[in-house]
Amino acid sequence: MNRGNLRWIKKVNQIIVYILVILAVFLSIAPMVYLAITSFKEPELTFAIPPVWKFTPTLQNYDEVLSSTDFGKYFMNSIVVALVTTGIALSLGTLAAYGFSRFRFRGHFWLRMSSLVPQMLPPIAIVVPLYVLFNKLDWIDTRQALIVSYLTFTIPLSTWMMIGFFDDVPVELEEAAMIDGCSRFGALVRVSLPLAIPGMAATAILAFLYCWNEFLYAVILTGREARTLPVIITSFMTNKSVLWGRIAASGTLVLIPVLIFALLAQRYLIRGLAKGAIKG
Amino acid sequence: MNLTQRRVPISIRRALRKVEPAFYIAPAFIVLAIILVYPLGYALWLSFHQWTLRTFKQGIPFIGFENYRDLFSNPDFINSIKVTFTFVILAISFEFILGMLLALLLNQELKGRGLFRSMILLPMMCTNVVIGLMWRLLLNYQYGLVNYYLGQLGFLPVEWLSSPKVAMASVVLVDVWNTTSFVALMLLAGLQSLPDEPYEAARIDGASSLQSFVYLTLPLLKPIILVALLWRFIDTFRIFDVIYLLTAGGPARVTETVSIYVYRYGFQSFNLGVAAASSFIMLLIMLAISGLLARAIRREE
Repeated sequence: MNRGNLRWIKKVNQIIVYILVILAVFLSIAPMVYLAITSFKEPELTFAIPPVWKFTPTLQNYDEVLSSTDFGKYFMNSIVVALVTTGIALSLGTLAAYGFSRFRFRGHFWLRMSSLVPQMLPPIAIVVPLYVLFNKLDWIDTRQALIVSYLTFTIPLSTWMMIGFFDDVPVELEEAAMIDGCSRFGALVRVSLPLAIPGMAATAILAFLYCWNEFLYAVILTGREARTLPVIITSFMTNKSVLWGRIAASGTLVLIPVLIFALLAQRYLIRGLAKGAIKG
Repeated sequence: MNLTQRRVPISIRRALRKVEPAFYIAPAFIVLAIILVYPLGYALWLSFHQWTLRTFKQGIPFIGFENYRDLFSNPDFINSIKVTFTFVILAISFEFILGMLLALLLNQELKGRGLFRSMILLPMMCTNVVIGLMWRLLLNYQYGLVNYYLGQLGFLPVEWLSSPKVAMASVVLVDVWNTTSFVALMLLAGLQSLPDEPYEAARIDGASSLQSFVYLTLPLLKPIILVALLWRFIDTFRIFDVIYLLTAGGPARVTETVSIYVYRYGFQSFNLGVAAASSFIMLLIMLAISGLLARAIRREE
């Protein structure tokens, strides 16, 4: 085989790779793009066959979503619950992850693994007892009930991810700080934490999204007051009809932060999930 | 600071160093324990009692293991376990095969790689409720885009969500859409941390790229494959919302996973004892399998 031939094969290869990647991207985003397009259609066009791709966009669905529900209030619920939960989970998870990353002790591995157990609890199994508990505390339909429930999966997640990021921060830097008179906690705060900030941001984003997307606890533990957006989306499905236009509009609104965060955190997210179990 | 340290006897300092990790790790565990002790304890208590909507006002009698025993002779429960395992195995297999291909693709030199990755990441971050409803629209028998374009290509329309023969495949399809990117990007993280030397050695020895994939890449990726497997197992085994919104367990219970079964008993029949017992069986199965995976991960370390 001569050189020209080889180069040609390489080129064809490259083109195939691009075609496949673009196909994967298309399959990934097409359903969501379709949802967004549907949200700008008049409801009558939603089910038009053959599908209508050229139409005058309308904000009718968005108008109806905003006027038929207290969308602003529920949006705030979603934001506040997700932010507070993320803040608490990230603090506790970062501390625990630091402990796992910097110390070796007996039972280290299994303790780390057991931090995942709350993640394994089927939400459907503990939502009834949680309901009973919050009922006793008079917390049904409050934001704090959701925050407490969401901590059960965000703390394990943050711990797990932050272990990977702390493993990436060289111990030597902390040791140097400690020789210079810093306590270990001081070294954590002044040296390692600043270096782990990208990791913390990625962890925070993922924890936020888990809360933002949660449905089962929200639908059972809240009523009129503390409802979050995923519950609102399903409220457009009634026994009589399914209001697809409104579902598409509210669904699109809910996905906006998801889109922003995916663009922001892509580089760090996966490394964090992957590294929690494996020493760096 | 150094002064005070010198005054503390060495033995105490050693003891302090031993408990130091607890200072960092304990808070997270304590908070989780406080939150979970009551719900778990109450669920366990319920699983040994008879609690039904009709009888609970007259009392909640202790019935020992009867809820558990009933479950194992209940065909619907056995069915839900089978459905769950079928779903878990099918979904995870496709996700790992496609995920590996996708990871190998994304590992090539590409312009705009970051943007591609962000786009591919979107499905795994998508809100479950939106996923369920969006796919219900797409897979609608009469009006769905999927059937329309299949028709354009000359295929007959498929009853994606309402035919007992196809519904499981559709639910798997949606989960594969949702999480293949998660598997792919995790494997990609692994691929990028692989050392170059063994590959050069293999090339010099005349190994084909398929051979170096099978004998080098796969074994080297094993730790990360196991971690991804653990995460996917935990998530697929508990799956609830997406299936609930797509098929609600139907038609004819072919997609009724344990979570949906628990929901039906707990929230539709209000038989909380049986619901609690079935969720404990589910949790035990999960702990057993996750434990095995964790042991495999430990061996890799």
